[in-house]
Amino acid sequence: MSAALIFGLLFALMLTGMPISISLGLTVLTFLFTMTEVPIESVGLKLFSGLDNFGIMAIPFFILAGTFLTRGGVARRMIAFTTSLVGHLPGGLGLAGVAACAMFAAISGSSVATVVAIGSIMMPAMVEYGYPRRFGVGVISTSGALGILVPPSIILVLYGVSTNTSIGALFMAGIVPGVLLALMLAAVTWFVAWRNDYPRMKRATLSQQFKAFRESLWGLLLIGIVLGGIYGGIFTPTEAAAVAAVYAFIITVFVYKELKLVEVPKVLLQAASMSSMLLYIITNAVLFSFLMTHEQIPQAMAAWIVDKHFSIWMFLLVVNVILLLAGNVMDPSSILLIMAPILFPLATKLGVNPVHLGVLMIVNTEVGLCHPPVGLNLYIASSIAKMGISEITIAVLPWLCAMLVFLGLITYVPEISLWLPRLLGMI
Amino acid sequence: MLLRILDRLEEIIIASLMGAATLITFIAVAHRFLVDVPVLYPYLFQINLAWSQELCIYMFIWMAKFGAAYGVRTGIHVGVDVLINRLNDRWRKGVILFGLFGGVVFTAIVGTMGAKFVYELMYTDQTSPDLEIPSWIVYACIPLGSYLMCFRFIQVMWAYFWTGELPHHDASHVDDIEVSPKAPIALGEA
Repeated sequence: MSAALIFGLLFALMLTGMPISISLGLTVLTFLFTMTEVPIESVGLKLFSGLDNFGIMAIPFFILAGTFLTRGGVARRMIAFTTSLVGHLPGGLGLAGVAACAMFAAISGSSVATVVAIGSIMMPAMVEYGYPRRFGVGVISTSGALGILVPPSIILVLYGVSTNTSIGALFMAGIVPGVLLALMLAAVTWFVAWRNDYPRMKRATLSQQFKAFRESLWGLLLIGIVLGGIYGGIFTPTEAAAVAAVYAFIITVFVYKELKLVEVPKVLLQAASMSSMLLYIITNAVLFSFLMTHEQIPQAMAAWIVDKHFSIWMFLLVVNVILLLAGNVMDPSSILLIMAPILFPLATKLGVNPVHLGVLMIVNTEVGLCHPPVGLNLYIASSIAKMGISEITIAVLPWLCAMLVFLGLITYVPEISLWLPRLLGMI
Repeated sequence: MLLRILDRLEEIIIASLMGAATLITFIAVAHRFLVDVPVLYPYLFQINLAWSQELCIYMFIWMAKFGAAYGVRTGIHVGVDVLINRLNDRWRKGVILFGLFGGVVFTAIVGTMGAKFVYELMYTDQTSPDLEIPSWIVYACIPLGSYLMCFRFIQVMWAYFWTGELPHHDASHVDDIEVSPKAPIALGEA
């Protein structure tokens, strides 16, 4: 009963176009005021204590690192490197785009940053080399979604923080699925290009390849710092993020010299404002999950599921449907913050591994990023390529289908996500 | 004039908190490694940076509260606009005003609750665990940030009521990133 009320109120408020954070907060306040005896003052305290966690602080650091990297020549050099490797294959620039997205995803934690960084260079380049505009947009806007699957990922941090799952284990769990998705997207790219006989690049010589590798080395090193540091136990994820931010600052300002020192405050402001928006949703999502726990809603749902003898198979199917539907109205971070505290107790009750659930949720939100009405990647691609949303929606279809197949694999073959962290002894 | 100073101050506060928190955490990490270097050990050993984590968290919480207010002004807080985009103009305006009003109400309530909380804390000698600053100073960001945010919501609502303009954050448009007109890929050119 109270569950219906809470969700009804939340949906009603959200549909007015009110910021999601405010709808969450108002729902909690209204419910606590009218239906419970909970001292309302405790809410004020929660607004602070909800953020009082060093793990969460990885988010602003990764956002800052991403903001620096988007400005710098890191993406350009990565593209040159991947082009030298695979440019001569059918759909060469497309394949290079997928690979560059995967690489950039491994140093940045957001898919928006990935699409902006790779897309703004790759899409015009592809048009210039005679690829249809649609092809480039399809490749980049879907591959950009790798940004939140391949570690580091801001969304994985959100999941880890809101369910108390090890962020290190989640990061390792994202690697194999990330590579697999990149390969699947590359396969689609190759097939589309091969059928339509799109242009190829001239094969690069070994020395050209080496030169491109050396130039992109500074960016590639960051992958080692973040993942190696976390896995080797040298850094906590938050420390790794802070180091990544400082490192990104140094390479963009002093090594590649793509950003002047006087422009740094602007980058800081931009990163701070993006982080604050996310942190504000987090505080309100903490309030919301406090209300959920207080009303024992996840427990009631779990009892119901066990009572009805739901198999894991059915449960995961339902989770996918709910998340895909949510992907039609919300962005990945809001979906994660609202749904994770609800789904997590259910999943553990049924024996689903928390790390597997995390990867599954990420892949679902990735699909949401690549189709309308709220697919952020499409909007970014549309503004870079100057194409309408409806045209882009058709353009991404082949890749979107591959993503749905991938989602099925991730859902029903948990080993894809769990193999690596298990091998490393992290779960 | 006063408003312009407030705007500027807001920006300076959040940008410098972002930068400072990053530097402090980086220095703490660097310190942890450099202290193992024998030559540096005698100098670095005396420096205790255990408080850095707490300070970083507090700085980010302060940044988040003020940054959220800044975000209202720049329209970065996203909502679900699937439904309201389908409404006719008059309904749309009403619903959006209601949504903004929700923001005003929520931030006002939270600000007041926070103010009460901080006021009560002022009469205790509770301090933060590592830095030992009085707790009420640390928590002061809740009322300050929320009231500022409330003010921003009122501002946006007022402007929208008269002009019909909402601040709009375009995630796809990043300042200074120009879409390169010429392909920068030098390799493998046919």
